[in-house]
Amino acid sequence: MFRKILIANRGEIALRILRACRTLGVQAVVAYSEADRDSLPVQLADEAICIGPADARRSYLSAPAVISAAIVTGCDAIHPGYGFLSEDETFAEVVGAHDLTFIGPPPPVLDRFASKEGTRRLLGSYGLPTIPGSDGMLRDDEHALAEAARIGYPVLIKPSAGGGGKGMRMVRTPRELDSAIKVCRSEARSAFGDDSLYLEKWLEDNRHVEVQVAVDRYGHGVHLGERDCSVQRRHQKILEEAPTPALSPAARADLSERAIRAVVAAGYENVGTLEFLVDGAGDFYFIEINCRIQVEHPVTEMLTGIDLVATQIRIAAGEPLGFSQADVQLRGHAMEFRINAEDPAHEFRPGAGVVEAFHMPGGPGIRMDTHLYPGYEVPPFYDSLLGKLIVWGPDRATAIQRGRAALDELVVDGLTTNVEIHKALLANQTFLDGRMTTNLLDRIGSAAFLAAAART
Amino acid sequence: MPDDRDAPRRPPRGDARPDDPGEARPDAAVDARPDPRGDAARAADHAGIDRLAGTLVPALIAKLGTLNVGELEVREGDWKVRLRRPPGGGASYGRRATDRPSRAHPGHELHGHAPASPEPHRSTRAIASATAEATNGSGGPGLAPVGPGLGGEAATAGDRRLGAGALAIGGSAASADAQAQIATSPAVGVFQPGSKAVAGTRVRAGDRLGVVDMLGVPQEVVAPVDGIVVGVIVDAGTAVEYGQELVHLESAVGAEGR
Repeated sequence: MFRKILIANRGEIALRILRACRTLGVQAVVAYSEADRDSLPVQLADEAICIGPADARRSYLSAPAVISAAIVTGCDAIHPGYGFLSEDETFAEVVGAHDLTFIGPPPPVLDRFASKEGTRRLLGSYGLPTIPGSDGMLRDDEHALAEAARIGYPVLIKPSAGGGGKGMRMVRTPRELDSAIKVCRSEARSAFGDDSLYLEKWLEDNRHVEVQVAVDRYGHGVHLGERDCSVQRRHQKILEEAPTPALSPAARADLSERAIRAVVAAGYENVGTLEFLVDGAGDFYFIEINCRIQVEHPVTEMLTGIDLVATQIRIAAGEPLGFSQADVQLRGHAMEFRINAEDPAHEFRPGAGVVEAFHMPGGPGIRMDTHLYPGYEVPPFYDSLLGKLIVWGPDRATAIQRGRAALDELVVDGLTTNVEIHKALLANQTFLDGRMTTNLLDRIGSAAFLAAAART
Repeated sequence: MPDDRDAPRRPPRGDARPDDPGEARPDAAVDARPDPRGDAARAADHAGIDRLAGTLVPALIAKLGTLNVGELEVREGDWKVRLRRPPGGGASYGRRATDRPSRAHPGHELHGHAPASPEPHRSTRAIASATAEATNGSGGPGLAPVGPGLGGEAATAGDRRLGAGALAIGGSAASADAQAQIATSPAVGVFQPGSKAVAGTRVRAGDRLGVVDMLGVPQEVVAPVDGIVVGVIVDAGTAVEYGQELVHLESAVGAEGR
């Protein structure tokens, strides 16, 4: 096991990692930016070190600052949390070059899974279904028509380069394809200087379901079930739950078993998450793998009783997993509400300010991971996550009831939060029926969503 | 910014401040002295503290602002107040309320010399709280918010002097438009003073006073103003954090600095 771990992150996840370190009996140092000097993880840490100014590029995203801090404080490992440097394989490599351990997959493993396209091909070859797409780039209109017909409409035209929706069009009929391709080519050319396009099957009303896995260095891996993260706002998850209401128990087991078999065969190591799109027919398609701890990991912890952060640290230290698939029992139903400093009535505009009053809900099955305290000033420099309220119940209905009670009990004064959107979700029939898809909020807009909830 | 931000900023902790701030808070910022003491002695102490806080400190702050000296120390009975001119670019930061002397902090021996902050708003806040308290000194919590920067209780066990608290406040309060006088660390790493980091050396703003080695890449520690080196706060080879105070300078007020 490690002697001392540098926590290179902030907010609730820094606190979560600190708690895991304490459970494991490992010393921890919290690395912080000047803007986080008064933050809870810094105050609760055994040791803390300022690594740079508020600007994340010079603190939390600065590999030299983070590594230097680890060295001068005598750490032998760095926990990157999520975001920031957590998925930077170059950072992981440099950490290794300084005889420190990156807590996550070893650099060669990170490298193998670095490219989304490469990972899709790799895991596809180990039996995971991927979204059907064109065979390479579109050569001409004839090729495009033939490929679209083979994949089946609707199809999504996607540029090879870039992102952000530029050069992307959904097409429902062969008649639209020709002109849409022309528009996409010209958009892609001007935006990325590359007009190569390919086709992907468009999944109508899809759901986002992900599988949590843990694999040790000795090739022993388990899955810890799936999470449904379909409630999103512009591709940002805001509520996650497990098990997914979208799939039958048999289909859920099949998904998780295929996921763990594929990643073990592909040589993955440490905790990770495989993300899938699930269509209306219940067919699932692998999209990408996250080689880190995820924001929504507590949902799985509530169901399994397994400390995922401690597991992640133990695997990185070279320990065997220590439990088998049979030991992983998924009990009951859990939901996580992300509490963000943003205004759902105004397009989720992010906010900052002083927490004037704060009260954390409690009771059976309630957990809150947060770095808030009364008087804390939320700095404007980082993401808007204030904490995560996680509720567990023996079944989905109980979890929802506990969620309502806990959301009502939660007090965060002084800041505008998105709590209202969660309350609205728990009053929304589509959500209550477990039929939500990734466009639940975006389809009608969050303001309309809130208004509808207010009427019920 | 409201001045009373200090108290609620502290997170819930086991060693919350004692129930009676009037009795207990001054002890956090003064020399440990023999206990138990008579009520008369305590009353006399509190009267002395009130005089210092209410009358002397504001006067000293004003005085220090006009003088070309780095530090002032005044005694009042058993009590003394020491004021120091502002550190680099703004306030001296308070050590965190939870800092404990037992921490293996880089530059940990420097309790009371918290890293200076380049953020000017901190300075304003510290001034506000210092001023409010000094003029409010009649009874109440006495010198409660007096501490380095933000944390009223920041004076640590190893540094329980009134001076330790007053230091930062005096510095901040006098800093309205004063020049910075502390060269701080530009990075987290290992400090190596340069040839100019010797007491008495005259330096120009921007002169290199040393380097902080961050993963083999030297980051320059520069003089923030024209002035004279008073002393090097951190030994060569010490691990330092970003913003930590490294070299103490006395600015050449009204001379080549302007």
